[in-house]
Amino acid sequence: MNSFLQALASGTLTGLLYGLIALSFVVIYRAARIVNLAQGEVLMVGAFSIWMMTLAAGLPALLGSGLALLVAALIGLVIERLVFRPLIGRPTTTIVLASVALIIVLRGASQMVFGPEARPFPQVLPAGAFKLGPLHLNLALTIGAVLTLIVTEALHRFFMNTTAGLRLSAVAEDHMTALSMGISVRRSAAIAWALGALLSALAAAIYLSGAALDVSVAGIGLRALPVALLGGMESVRGATLAGVLVGVGESLAATYLDRHTSGTMSQVFPFLVMIALMLIRPQGLFGWKVIERV
Amino acid sequence: MLPSGVFFRDFAAEAAYLRTGPQRLAMALFVLALVLLPALAGAYLVGVITLMFVTMIAVLGLQITVGMAGMINIGQSAFVGVGAFVSASLASKLGWPFWLTLPAAALAAGVSSLLFGLPALRIKGFYLALTTVAAQIIFPIGIARLPTAWFGGSSGLAVEPVSIFGHALLKQHELYYFNLAFVLLFTLLAFNLKRTRVGRALIAVRDNDIAASVLGVNIGYYKLIAFFVGAMFAGVAGALLGYVVSYVTTDHFTLWLSIWYISMLIVGGMGSPLGAIFGTVVITALQESLHALGNAAAARFGSDFGAFIFPATNSVLGVLIIAILVFQPHGLLTGWNTLKAAYRIWPYRHHGG
Repeated sequence: MNSFLQALASGTLTGLLYGLIALSFVVIYRAARIVNLAQGEVLMVGAFSIWMMTLAAGLPALLGSGLALLVAALIGLVIERLVFRPLIGRPTTTIVLASVALIIVLRGASQMVFGPEARPFPQVLPAGAFKLGPLHLNLALTIGAVLTLIVTEALHRFFMNTTAGLRLSAVAEDHMTALSMGISVRRSAAIAWALGALLSALAAAIYLSGAALDVSVAGIGLRALPVALLGGMESVRGATLAGVLVGVGESLAATYLDRHTSGTMSQVFPFLVMIALMLIRPQGLFGWKVIERV
Repeated sequence: MLPSGVFFRDFAAEAAYLRTGPQRLAMALFVLALVLLPALAGAYLVGVITLMFVTMIAVLGLQITVGMAGMINIGQSAFVGVGAFVSASLASKLGWPFWLTLPAAALAAGVSSLLFGLPALRIKGFYLALTTVAAQIIFPIGIARLPTAWFGGSSGLAVEPVSIFGHALLKQHELYYFNLAFVLLFTLLAFNLKRTRVGRALIAVRDNDIAASVLGVNIGYYKLIAFFVGAMFAGVAGALLGYVVSYVTTDHFTLWLSIWYISMLIVGGMGSPLGAIFGTVVITALQESLHALGNAAAARFGSDFGAFIFPATNSVLGVLIIAILVFQPHGLLTGWNTLKAAYRIWPYRHHGG
């Protein structure tokens, strides 16, 4: 029973981290209709800028990370301007392929600047675990989870209740209609990228706090992709909820099934969910039903 | 664009792939050059070109799925991997000859692709690309997990060399000719697929699926066919790769390799098998020459510089790919077609009204 509760709790915490990364997918898709497969690489760039601001520049961890979030947002703007703005109005295929090429560029550029070796990542959030009743919880992940919930609610309100947010939603629905209503697709995409890159850097701070940083951290991007799909690519709250679902599922699979499958099930689990989802409910739990169907 | 002065009077003329005498001559000379190449080039270059042939078969297959049928596949190297492991296992554990392992590898890759192509019956667009990403991630985990007696688990499998009439192909130029034969065969297949009923159906589904279904094309069936055929090419490429490098592990078949496959297709142009060929040749040539340059520079300025130059190569190529997507969406094919048209109507500047 205890191990079940423990799996549930730690699954929820990891799941909320997945949820935060999924949010960065969702924000960019929801406001610009860009599926960015290079989101993991954007997260990696955010992580490197946190390292630059704290350990390299010598600023205190929290202040440095805060500045690094702004740097990440700036990098997001640059990516949007150089890669995706010229592709506005092109087929989805082209945009997806551009994001694939972006994977190559960002990985290459980071290795060029920072080299292949792993480096220590600053302790942005306090380390260690604390006891809550019978449960041991990771302190950094718990703080991250609270942050994720706050960010989710704030973003939800931003998209639903503010004029700027509604503009972004209009762009997500249809570029042409949005343009004819006088909404700037370019500005929306720029806002989306700044927000998405900022969220990725925040996720990096929670994910890597006190761990090691190298190019391979980008792999978490694709692990969070099934989460974004399960929640529905347009749904802010859905992403977080789906994060919890996938995180708990993965954690339960690790506790109960990995023994019989020698550690395979928890790795494959999110992707099996994804394929099943594609067959049963492609728009995800809370996505809009406008998905292109056959 | 037709060769100038040639007008089709019957279907047979239209269906003929090589239409004029000079075209036949040029093609014959080109194939002759390919045959003579090992006599002229060094062993290293021959080795690079042999591997390029293998890549080319995989990219030709990708062109069918992505270019002809319009479904993004970011998992092609997983299907290459399936072919490689099935062929390696059959060759080394059961001693099957290559003319049995190649079809078996193609079939295995094709069938495994159906599993991931199945969502194509429900969805299209980028959602489909994501299931192929799933294939890419599940493949190495699956191979490592299956009984070691089948595929060697995570340590991989050694592959027996190809033997033809009891003669084992071990020398570099023998492998070159072996792969050349297959790349010619599959290029021919890819070019001709466009002109068959299946090829036309695939193009119809890509361009307008609703119109295609009104015309009686079974969309779901043909989408699965596109996945199946594309992955069969990949399976053959995998089997050949196993014979060339004589050892297969899951480390060969990463998402990174799939990304390069699709990049080759973008650079060359998706519209025709010719684009796949151009892309493979250009990217391989660029990679090899940039790496040679990097090695030379590293030998001169120290290994730190070498560690800098290899990722720099990737960045340069990545920027090139984005530039092509932005400025030349049909890839190098556009330039080629313009050049060809200009040559054919010379000395005039354009076709008369």
